Amino acid sequence: MSTLAIRATTHRKLIGAAFAVPALALFGLFAIYPMVRVFYISLFDYDLTSSPRWVGFNNYEFLWHSEQFHQSLEATGFYLLFTYVPAVLLALLLAIGLDTKLPGSGFIRLLYFAPVAMSWVAISVIWRLLFQPDGLLNRVLGTHTTWLTSTKSAEWALVIASVWKETGLFLILFLAGLSKIPRDLREAASLDGAGPLRSFRYVTLPLLKPMTAVVCVMAVIRGCQSFSPQVVLTGGSFNTEVVNLYVYKTAFENARMGRASAVAVLLFFALLMVTMLQLRLFRSDDR
Amino acid sequence: MTRVLSRPAEVAAPPVEPARRRRRRVTVRAVVLYGLLLPGGLLFASVFVYAVLSALKPADEVLSTHWWPSRFVWSNFKLPFSTVPFARYYVNSVVVGVVVTLLNVVTCTLAGYSFSKFAYRGRTLLYLIVLATMMIPLEVIYVPLYALVFKLHWVNTFSGLIVPAGTSAFGILLMRQSIDGLPDEILDAARLDGAGETRILWRIVAPMMTAPMAALALVVFMTTWDSHLWPLLVGNDDNHKTLPVGLAAMQADNAGATGIPMLMAAAVMAVLPTLLLFCLLQKRFVEGITMSADIR
Repeated sequence: MSTLAIRATTHRKLIGAAFAVPALALFGLFAIYPMVRVFYISLFDYDLTSSPRWVGFNNYEFLWHSEQFHQSLEATGFYLLFTYVPAVLLALLLAIGLDTKLPGSGFIRLLYFAPVAMSWVAISVIWRLLFQPDGLLNRVLGTHTTWLTSTKSAEWALVIASVWKETGLFLILFLAGLSKIPRDLREAASLDGAGPLRSFRYVTLPLLKPMTAVVCVMAVIRGCQSFSPQVVLTGGSFNTEVVNLYVYKTAFENARMGRASAVAVLLFFALLMVTMLQLRLFRSDDR
Repeated sequence: MTRVLSRPAEVAAPPVEPARRRRRRVTVRAVVLYGLLLPGGLLFASVFVYAVLSALKPADEVLSTHWWPSRFVWSNFKLPFSTVPFARYYVNSVVVGVVVTLLNVVTCTLAGYSFSKFAYRGRTLLYLIVLATMMIPLEVIYVPLYALVFKLHWVNTFSGLIVPAGTSAFGILLMRQSIDGLPDEILDAARLDGAGETRILWRIVAPMMTAPMAALALVVFMTTWDSHLWPLLVGNDDNHKTLPVGLAAMQADNAGATGIPMLMAAAVMAVLPTLLLFCLLQKRFVEGITMSADIR
């Protein structure tokens, strides 16, 4: 290769690397730097305006004993379990029924998809009306529940609104997963005499596994990130102060940035572990 | 002998069997679809329909048993604009949504092209770092991120609302995967013709990548339109509130029944752009969402 050609390729590589710079600069400043900082700040008492004071692991110790923090873990656990398990199962069932080209199926899909395109705050404002003591939900059910202002039902109100909002997203994903399973595979199974239940259990479900793994990981992450429905529907009262809302209040209402960062660190490890665990569980018996 | 004889009979049977079974299966599917899933879907949609109808009711009817308004009060849709700077929130949401989307398409296409077609040292490492940032959700880093933006004096500025959301790992992965499918020969041919790298990107790569770019744009726009937590922190004055922040504040200020028609009108208007986009571009949306999941 002549020196000229070498210079030309070096030049080209430089330009190529430069193309990545804007994205990398943004990541460095607004993702990686804060990620490092969150570990660091979690060891300080910090209120943003005065200089941080070193407290070692005091923030973590505080959380270990904090009733309010434990309650927020409980609230998140409840929300996660009762919103996302039903939403994923419902989505799977709907996907099986909607995986057809019969006339009108596109329109019916759209009915379930629609909440996905609506913002969390807007749908929470809408659901607030339905949850009023003399609102639609009580009238339809014939109940007199104070949905948003009593300890047991507030959690369920959040669950109801969230299942309505989230099912469509998982439905989209399951439908995409189903469409990748070749039809002749399922038809071959039915030719071999497998009934619809058996062919679902032994053909469809195993082949849907990769998508199921993705859906489960997404569900957990989304559940832990929940914020807007709690803010709008209950403001975190009545056992609905989820972890993310606890972080927000600790950092921005009580000006305890260090303590909030400690929660964020714990949240990070929890999410990391869940993701790893789920991916391993779903992948291990593939081979 | 009997075995040999019985074979042809077995072979002859199936063509009749599956045809009947298939027909029966189609009937079952139709019954499930129209008898179960259609009513279920209408029930799902009824929540939104109820919101639209409530937005059109006179204030004293919003908590009545009637779905249908006794008269249509279209002026309810003016209420958000007259009580709060709703138009301002709307414009802010559009500006932030559009600029964040454009920034993402540009930075992700550039980075995706870089990671896909240039063999410079450290490329793999940088790409792995980008992959790793997918594991960092905003919820984990927003406290120090806010501290940073505070120091930059970006609180209550559009820079604070827009710049930190200017790129996404998912977008880079998506663009890289798509650009990987472009044959190198096309790019080399353009180079032989004397085209510069920027020109190649602009004239050859970008025009062939409009489909993934559109999918990325839709996902980013929808996410930005929905985003609440970050704008709540860095855009809390009326000049910088986006729709979710403004809407949540309106809800908090109007807890009583009299505010309901206004709130419903505001919520319906806030939902409309993404809902319309979704209905019009359903296929692209589904592609984008699916791709964002596949990449994980």
